[in-house]
Amino acid sequence: MKAESNLERILEAGEFAVTAELGPPKSADVQVVEKKAGFLKGMVDAVNITDNQTAIVRMSSIAAGALAMREGLEPVIQITCRDRNRIAIQSDVLGAYALGMRNILCLTGDHQSFGNHQTSKNVYDMDSVQLIQTLRSMRDDKVFLCGDEIRNGKKAPIVEPRIYIGAAANPFGDPFEFRVIRLAKKANAGVDFIQTQCIYDMERFEKWMEQVRERGLHKKVKILAGLTPLKSAGMARYMRDSVAGLTVPDWYIERIGKAEDKAAEGIRMCVEQIERIRSIEGVAGIHLMAIEWEHRVAEIVKEAGLLPRPVV
Amino acid sequence: MVRDVKKLLILGCGTCVTVCMAGGEKEVGILASTLRLTNRRNNISMEIMEDTIERQCDREFFDAVADKVREADAVLSLACGVGVQFGGEVFEGKRFLPGLNTSFYGANESVGVWSERCAGCGNCVLDKFGGLCPITRCSKSLLNGPCGGSQNGMCEVDPENIECGWQLIYDRMKALGLLHKLEENEPVKDWSTSRDGGPRKIIREDMVQ
Amino acid sequence: MGKKIVAFCCENSSYKAAAAVSDADVLDAVEIVRLPCSGKIEIGLVLKCLEDGHAGVLVLGCPVDNCKYLHGNTRAKKRVQRAQSLLEEAGIPRQLVHIDFISSVDSHKFVEIVREMKERIAEAQAAGGVAGE
Repeated sequence: MKAESNLERILEAGEFAVTAELGPPKSADVQVVEKKAGFLKGMVDAVNITDNQTAIVRMSSIAAGALAMREGLEPVIQITCRDRNRIAIQSDVLGAYALGMRNILCLTGDHQSFGNHQTSKNVYDMDSVQLIQTLRSMRDDKVFLCGDEIRNGKKAPIVEPRIYIGAAANPFGDPFEFRVIRLAKKANAGVDFIQTQCIYDMERFEKWMEQVRERGLHKKVKILAGLTPLKSAGMARYMRDSVAGLTVPDWYIERIGKAEDKAAEGIRMCVEQIERIRSIEGVAGIHLMAIEWEHRVAEIVKEAGLLPRPVV
Repeated sequence: MVRDVKKLLILGCGTCVTVCMAGGEKEVGILASTLRLTNRRNNISMEIMEDTIERQCDREFFDAVADKVREADAVLSLACGVGVQFGGEVFEGKRFLPGLNTSFYGANESVGVWSERCAGCGNCVLDKFGGLCPITRCSKSLLNGPCGGSQNGMCEVDPENIECGWQLIYDRMKALGLLHKLEENEPVKDWSTSRDGGPRKIIREDMVQ
Repeated sequence: MGKKIVAFCCENSSYKAAAAVSDADVLDAVEIVRLPCSGKIEIGLVLKCLEDGHAGVLVLGCPVDNCKYLHGNTRAKKRVQRAQSLLEEAGIPRQLVHIDFISSVDSHKFVEIVREMKERIAEAQAAGGVAGE
């Protein structure tokens, strides 16, 4: 075991893992976190706490993660490269570990032009591959990027952050042929688990998984398929037109448009997706990104037959 | 910016800004005419002198306009930010004002179109990426790109106008038969050679007098 | 009012059209400058005319798709547009500069254009925004 996190134990035991997402509030309101955590407790194995997603200022991932832990959840902290340099990042990793967090997802981060502070300077001191490498060096080589040992003094003990390292993968971005190579790069950098961008184009995802299996990557890293249930045809269209790196086949939009209870249909389609994904070789679990719909996660997980969550 | 100046010298530069049609002799003339027309309209009395020198980043070229500079209350320089500052160093105490918003090192893609190519990072990696700079051409300066926002060869930051630098790198490396090189992980960059490390200076010892 | 309207005329079209005009009022109102092509017009020159006190500037080129040098008249149009934007920024009415396209036999059009230009200038003066000395 690298970090002994719940997520790691579940995945190492070969159980089909389920993770979800919790978006911290755009304010200092603790209750928002507590409420969302309440919906997810017991329903999933770990919960991603996003880091200023789409470059909109929210309560920090580590802070919200600490609150989530108080509510009984295991967090997956997210760190993007957009806002912090290597000094701040390594510092945050030490802090997260000290607070009991064991999973960190390494992301490049959406450009600030997407968010509410478009005039800010961006950092991108490193990219996601280098970030993974940094976390792995801290954990396994027990050194900072500069080479210093992770100890408080020459006579102090080495106390390194033992983190289960995650990253994202996008089977739908371009260039398509390069996507699997990029996953291989992350695997070489030391990533332990991957969560993909949400899937609607099942064929393309299956093709990507084929390439992944060809390289044996599914054995090196645990891959969790990303899913986002659609609430309406409007949301489907928005995902198709406005979210970078995402494709939504037309039949989704048609089917949900025709349904009477659109939300229920969206959930039904999500459950069908889960069933199809479970049959794909090399997929170790799912990552449910029910943005601002956390209260429906329980329903989805239950209908997909994934409850109760295993205790390992 | 120049409203309260009584005697203004608009000073153009004959090198980069002439080539990119922003601050050469022609542009000085256009600006001077426009300024005179607007001053007349608003009843502002201002004497406007015009001139253009070869460059404003080398001391000797200022000699030709030294008299005009001394005569003027302020100089509106249409050189890049370098010239504006250097003029102020050459003529101590004289106010040099910026007439342009200096933006980037770029190439003339076609008539009337210029785009950014170099960030002056001080540690060139063009050899590793098929002659395309990931620092400048990628909106996030990724060295192990692309990110998930690359679609149809365009960048998520502006899918109509910005090409994905990493799509370009991928295509070039593929054409060169060097795609396998991109599978190697590029380590973190040493930014200390770029502007992050502080203002830079280069000295050719063999040239110093 | 100051100096006359300057009419930059392409020698392949409007210059010839102007040569066949006999209307004294029209001829008195303009100072004709001959260009090898309307595309030779420079933004700086247009502004300089107004700066020197001319009432207005006309640029007359060949009809679209008929430029002897292929794209000269298109270029002229873009340069005039740029000059007009700069005038607007300067608080000067943009209609003091006008571009039009006529052929070598369009003498009557030449007359019309000059008359309309005089009206435009008079309107601008009345509104109080003229660049004359």
